[in-house]
Amino acid sequence: MPQLRAQFVLFDGFDPLDVIAPFEALVAGSDVLAGALSVELVSAAGPGPVQSGLPQIALTATAALDPHAPGYILVPGAVGPVDGDPDAGDETIPVLLARFAASEAMPLIARALDDSEVTVAAYCGGSLALAMADLIEGRTATTHVLGIDMLDATGVNAVRARVVDDGDLISGGGVTSGLDVALYLLERDFGSTTAHAVEELFEYERRGVTVRTERPAAA
Amino acid sequence: MSAITGTWLLRMKTPVGTIEAEYRFEEDDGVLCGSARGNGETTPLTDIAVTDGAEGERVTWRQRITRPLRLNLEYDVIVTGDTLVGESRAGRLPRSRVTGERAHA
Repeated sequence: MPQLRAQFVLFDGFDPLDVIAPFEALVAGSDVLAGALSVELVSAAGPGPVQSGLPQIALTATAALDPHAPGYILVPGAVGPVDGDPDAGDETIPVLLARFAASEAMPLIARALDDSEVTVAAYCGGSLALAMADLIEGRTATTHVLGIDMLDATGVNAVRARVVDDGDLISGGGVTSGLDVALYLLERDFGSTTAHAVEELFEYERRGVTVRTERPAAA
Repeated sequence: MSAITGTWLLRMKTPVGTIEAEYRFEEDDGVLCGSARGNGETTPLTDIAVTDGAEGERVTWRQRITRPLRLNLEYDVIVTGDTLVGESRAGRLPRSRVTGERAHA
């Protein structure tokens, strides 16, 4: 089986925990699976440093986001002030997400959503950013609890859960939910033994019911 | 003819900052229709309804925008002469204030 790619999409203002925790979980899963996954940091602009929403932390993208690489595209959220006046220049989380939603990453993620060999996993504000960009109207998804009403107002069927499986779109709740999304992807696509081995190693157990939408069986 | 017929400049607060848009309301055979232009897109207004109140004419409508972000909005404003004041609401999000003035050609 050819190696699948797991591409974490970095953008200005991303939340490092949304990236690092599921990144490590997928790396650990890949180790259990004898290297089934190539886990990477990418950005729409290509290789180079990308500033997170925390001034002390930047991460380096090693490649440009490839919307057609078989595997996973993981979309984190942003970290910044929750409250503030955007008119006064405050870079609140909705402002950071709206900027990401208007960026060159979104047409690429739109192509990934149309590619049957790619699963898009977006969590925390990442799923809200896809909704702001009008990529997931009518889909069932979740986001950070603070963004759930805005997600609903974009025309998404917003559900409160830590993980929502809508086929080729997996979404997760806030911050720590990214770990649950990664564990769920390992369980769904590689089996419970793999996901359980990572849970044991991380001393972390996924929690809550994963909401799965009813989908017609594949033709 | 409804008092809102004509062209208006509206400002409204959104979670990503205040946005401005130009609204145009027209009455054709007694049917009121409208559109909004802002942030590089023009969107039709739906479910426009007008009722007379003590303070002025109350106009409500729905709107689907994709810029600056995708939102379903509901408006509820009172028209007094050349100004209007009211609220817009995106789903369950808190209501936000809307103000507008008639644009003079």
